[in-house]
Amino acid sequence: MKKLKFENRITLIYLLVGGIWIAFSDKILDYMIKSTELITRIQTFKGWFYVIVTALLFYLFLKKHLNQLRKTENELEIHQTNLKQLVVEKTKELDTAIAELQDINVQLYEKNNIINKQNSELIEAFGQLKQTQKQLLLAEKMASLNILTSGFAHEINNPLNYILGGLTGLENYFREVDKQNNEQTDLYIDSIKTGVARASSLISELNQLSYSKDAYRDDCALHPLIENCLLLLQDQLRPNIMVKKNFMEGEIVIWGNISQLHQLFINILLNAIQSICNEGIVLITTSRQNDLCSVEITDSGCGISQDQLPKITDPFFTTKEPGKGTGLGLSIAYNIVQAHDGQIDFKSQINKGTTATIVLPLIKHSDE
Amino acid sequence: MSNTKVLYVDDESINLKLFDAVLKRKFEILTAENGITGLDILKENSDIQVVISDMKMPVMNGITFIHQAREIWPQINYYILTGFEITDQMQDALDNGVIRKYFKKPVNLNEISEEIEKMTS
Repeated sequence: MKKLKFENRITLIYLLVGGIWIAFSDKILDYMIKSTELITRIQTFKGWFYVIVTALLFYLFLKKHLNQLRKTENELEIHQTNLKQLVVEKTKELDTAIAELQDINVQLYEKNNIINKQNSELIEAFGQLKQTQKQLLLAEKMASLNILTSGFAHEINNPLNYILGGLTGLENYFREVDKQNNEQTDLYIDSIKTGVARASSLISELNQLSYSKDAYRDDCALHPLIENCLLLLQDQLRPNIMVKKNFMEGEIVIWGNISQLHQLFINILLNAIQSICNEGIVLITTSRQNDLCSVEITDSGCGISQDQLPKITDPFFTTKEPGKGTGLGLSIAYNIVQAHDGQIDFKSQINKGTTATIVLPLIKHSDE
Repeated sequence: MSNTKVLYVDDESINLKLFDAVLKRKFEILTAENGITGLDILKENSDIQVVISDMKMPVMNGITFIHQAREIWPQINYYILTGFEITDQMQDALDNGVIRKYFKKPVNLNEISEEIEKMTS
């Protein structure tokens, strides 16, 4: 059965007690006391009695009920306090967790930075590796070519020697014995001579591709060396080509092979000069850093296209007209730089010009 | 013709024939196909003044031949005539005065003739 609510219960009990009292108290009095006067007097006491009894009942009921309420309130308060404490504790734990997370975040950020840095280092190393591989391939190509050309040169020089020997004999014959048609025979003889000379100079250029037997122990002062090269190129330098020298202060001395280095700079300078059609500038810049020196030769000439740029050190690659160049100049230059443990790099833009950068160690390490 | 005696050593017979044909009007030419024969000819002809040798030959190369010849006949002028570029061995021989000069093939025989005349005059 559903328990009645406190306020309904107390009202019901009051109504019941009040009703019973009103209904039966007068009857009991009438039955017990006969005197009307006495009854009137007792009537007043009966009222007081009722008030006192009901008040007492109210007091007891209310007290019991209120006590229960207070107890609940107390328990609630305790719970609330516990809850607050719990919240504070949990908040503290959360704060610690957040701090830890932030810490981890910072660490992750740092690690990320390290990874990014390593990544870029790897990319750089990969680039260097590719460059080295390219150089190795080129070096190997040159090495096998050198073996080939050295033997080839000897085998060609011998028949050339027969031709020139026979020719000298004929020349002497026509000059001393059969003097009649010298005008005509001179033309024939000169033609053969020119042919032999050109073939011979090509062979000797090819031979210069290999330098394995040369020594690298000369003190080469770079600035006078470049000046010498410019002097040797004097007849190639047209008046509308200006040579600007931007030499660093002080002297740069390399331990190397002086004749090879002459040839290196002559070949590069000759290319720079020949790339200029009408007028232009050739700028030579030198600098030194620790045990390396660098020579930059920039021309304002016709430039080389990007697809041809990687081929310019290939033997026999030339953009010049037939007969104007053999295509061996830069190939020889490349080999000389390699032989000196250096590096050569070309940058070019069509119609803007070309820059050749030669970096050489002051001391050739493999000879130390 | 002067009486200058010249020995030319080369393993290629055409070179020997041409050398002889072109220069015999000026000098007395002796030829050998290798260093051993060259040394034999030198023994028989003590009046040889000039020796010109190829570098790459069977048995011994030009410099080895000249070194051996020079020990016995140091008064002779020695030359190398080669189809190769200069080698370390040749450079040493030049530096030490073992050979006076080296000629490169293809060579103008008139150039050799001028050198011989200059040396023996």
